[in-house]
Amino acid sequence: MFKSELYKIIATSLVATVVLASSAQAEESAYNGLWNAKKDISGGVYYPIKDGKTGPYYVNPQVYEDSDIAKGKDGLKVGYNFGRLATQNELLAWDKDIMPDGTGLPEGYGYVDEGEALYEAKCIACHGDFGSGGGGYPALAAGKGKEMKRTLTNNRWLNPTAEGPVRMFGSYWPVASTMFWYIRDAMPHQKSKTLTDNETYSLVAYMLYINDMKVHGEIVNETFKLDREKFMKIEMPNRNGFIPDIDGPNGIENVREFFAKAENYGGIRLAKGEEPCMENCQSTDNILRVDGGITEFEPPMSVVRDLPPQESDPARIVTFNPQAAYANDCAMCHDNGVAPKAGDTAGWAPFLEKGYPQLLKNAIEGTNNGMPAKGGSSLNDEEFEQVIKYILGQ
Amino acid sequence: MEKIKKILKRNSDSVVKNDEIAGLDRRGFFRKTGAMSAIAAASVMAPSALRATEDDPNIMHHPDWGQSWGDPVTKNRYGMPSKYEHNNTRRTTKLLASGNYRAAIAVTPIHESEGIITPNGLFFSRSHGGTAHIDPNKWRLMINGLVEKPIVLTLEELKRYPRITRTHFIECPANGGQEWRRPQYNSLQFAKGFMSCAEWTGVYIKTILKDLGLKPNAKWMLAEGSDNSEMGRSVPVEKVLDDAMLVWGQNGEALRPEQGYPVRLLLPGWEGNLCVKWLKRLEFAEEPWYAKEETSKYTALKPTGKAIQHFYANEVNSTVVTPSPEKPWTNLKEGDMVEIEGLAWSGMGTITRVDLSFDGGNNYVKANLKGLILPKCWTRWSYMYKIPKGFKNPDGKQIILTSRAMDDAGFIQPTVDQEIFGKDVSAEYLKAALEDNSKIDKNKGMGVESVYHRNAIESWEVAENGEVNHVQIRTI
Repeated sequence: MFKSELYKIIATSLVATVVLASSAQAEESAYNGLWNAKKDISGGVYYPIKDGKTGPYYVNPQVYEDSDIAKGKDGLKVGYNFGRLATQNELLAWDKDIMPDGTGLPEGYGYVDEGEALYEAKCIACHGDFGSGGGGYPALAAGKGKEMKRTLTNNRWLNPTAEGPVRMFGSYWPVASTMFWYIRDAMPHQKSKTLTDNETYSLVAYMLYINDMKVHGEIVNETFKLDREKFMKIEMPNRNGFIPDIDGPNGIENVREFFAKAENYGGIRLAKGEEPCMENCQSTDNILRVDGGITEFEPPMSVVRDLPPQESDPARIVTFNPQAAYANDCAMCHDNGVAPKAGDTAGWAPFLEKGYPQLLKNAIEGTNNGMPAKGGSSLNDEEFEQVIKYILGQ
Repeated sequence: MEKIKKILKRNSDSVVKNDEIAGLDRRGFFRKTGAMSAIAAASVMAPSALRATEDDPNIMHHPDWGQSWGDPVTKNRYGMPSKYEHNNTRRTTKLLASGNYRAAIAVTPIHESEGIITPNGLFFSRSHGGTAHIDPNKWRLMINGLVEKPIVLTLEELKRYPRITRTHFIECPANGGQEWRRPQYNSLQFAKGFMSCAEWTGVYIKTILKDLGLKPNAKWMLAEGSDNSEMGRSVPVEKVLDDAMLVWGQNGEALRPEQGYPVRLLLPGWEGNLCVKWLKRLEFAEEPWYAKEETSKYTALKPTGKAIQHFYANEVNSTVVTPSPEKPWTNLKEGDMVEIEGLAWSGMGTITRVDLSFDGGNNYVKANLKGLILPKCWTRWSYMYKIPKGFKNPDGKQIILTSRAMDDAGFIQPTVDQEIFGKDVSAEYLKAALEDNSKIDKNKGMGVESVYHRNAIESWEVAENGEVNHVQIRTI
């Protein structure tokens, strides 16, 4: 969210590219590496455009800063003037992000109990009861956020079956603005950008509730009302759990300093002139093998060069199992109370009022009530209709 | 030390010598081939090694394709691989996918990769809300925030900027991330295939910004996708003004939908997740955004309980590609010459060297880099090797192939234990830690819970029958 009025404009004539070049030079003297000296913010090598090249690549010198032509000396003035200015309405329509300081957070309000009802209608199929997760979708809560935060120091170093860290909204996320932004613009997953601001407030309130969190010292209970003012006072237990500190005027330099030290992030940088170990480098007595491991690959692993199974292969049609397809592609919603189950004749009756062809068409094309096209499956029309017939008990 | 000497001697014995290849029966060979030059002869195996017991029917009979019309040029207007190549495909597994494969990853079959370019149809595919299919006529890019001129561009307008072409890999920072505690995949595709490499065409963002007037207090850029998940990430302006690109071309054609058609962000060397696909908006501000994929995910939890946020470059890495679990040595026997080939890559710079170990990382020989050696790009390396009896080292243990790469930023791949416990890990330290876990220094190493940015050396053990299995070498 754009908010120039909130920023203190630093009076400087330096353009950002000049800042970049000078900071890279400062790095050069500090760096005790092996080969190239200049480092970028990530700790990697900086390949400036120099003498018409960047690294091994030639560039058109007419385009880039260090050329006389680009500087305007040969009549080619900088200025493409492509595109057009964005209108205020366009900026409002697309500039919807929400920042930790509340920039972009709309006015509005919501309630935990309304959030719960919404959650059960629109979220539970993927995220499970009370945010317990399932089906490969993330869990959203695992008890009291503040207590779960203590698990972040759990490390299964030497005991792979010990309890690992719990990285949930309440125990891990640093700020709450992320949750509002993400729910409103990316959820529900199969039909995003359909929730109102107030509905989003209710869902965030419910997230606070199931994570047992506090707002300005107050525990979020079932009747809690969340509005913009209270939102800004949400206490995130792990607000200080992240490194480097990216906020404020020193944020960028903190990042640079962090990544300049390899040991901060598990890296090894050889000292200038240091040769890597070539002999007797480590004991190799302990060999961990895969031991079962993950083998259910889709499609199954094969390096054979043969003819593919044909689409029209009668064997493929005969072996198509609508029940298995239902379990794989449909059950996540249809067995979770979001939509009628397979074989639920009474439940399906209202959907058949406009006749079977209409139901089939809706199922294939998807609806605005949450049914994705073909349920999000990759079945062909014939296979999909077999599944529909199975669901209707035909 | 005796053991080391033996291994080193064996390795030097394995280097190809032309007179070995030419075989013992040179004289007879020359008699048969007459005028053939010695140089040509030296590159051909002795006939005794190739003597057939019976004639090959594939030679003795005309094949179908040699006696009838092939396809007209009007067929397959967009060419497809041979139908016999149908197993060379992206793959996924339930562990890497939400229930309906919309927040999921399908990984590249790098065991089948050739050279340093991944074909567009095999480039790994990761999305957070499914692959979006965008009408390029309706696509718009908005650039707003701390710029003098907030603008909107159509695709046609974007493509009018002066274009550049670069070859870079893109790697998901979770590549290898399921194997911090133990190896889980007996497969190169799944152990290392969360990455691909392509030649990208687009425009430097700095070229566009020159026109828009970036304000001096702009420190961060938000890149936002137009897909269902509105994937967004904060990027330091310093990277934007260095080598960040908006790309629309991939290996000589338009980006594939799975890669963000029509336009994605490319931050060379940095996390694939930062290279936002289906791009719709760039915004500049003084503070970072805390988007979902830079807080709840893509943050690397350390043993101290603190997590690294804004972890950018993918560190130096490498793998042996042939052999691999998918491409074993089961058809080879003692004395056969074989090329051990692999890939090395670094998001921090250019690969400068790769070493290869036959004993899981205790002793190394230098491998040979080959082909183009480009920054932030896959680099091929090679080592010629003669298969020993039973695929065993002189000490009687099975061969364990381990590669170790270095880059021009000065980085070298850590061992598995170094990455977990810190650079100075020793057997004594680990023994003490095994007896009493509280003796582990939590301020050292990445631990095993960080998920992202794992780049420890990777090992393949060759079994007596030539099968190749994924193993992890630990100190004790």
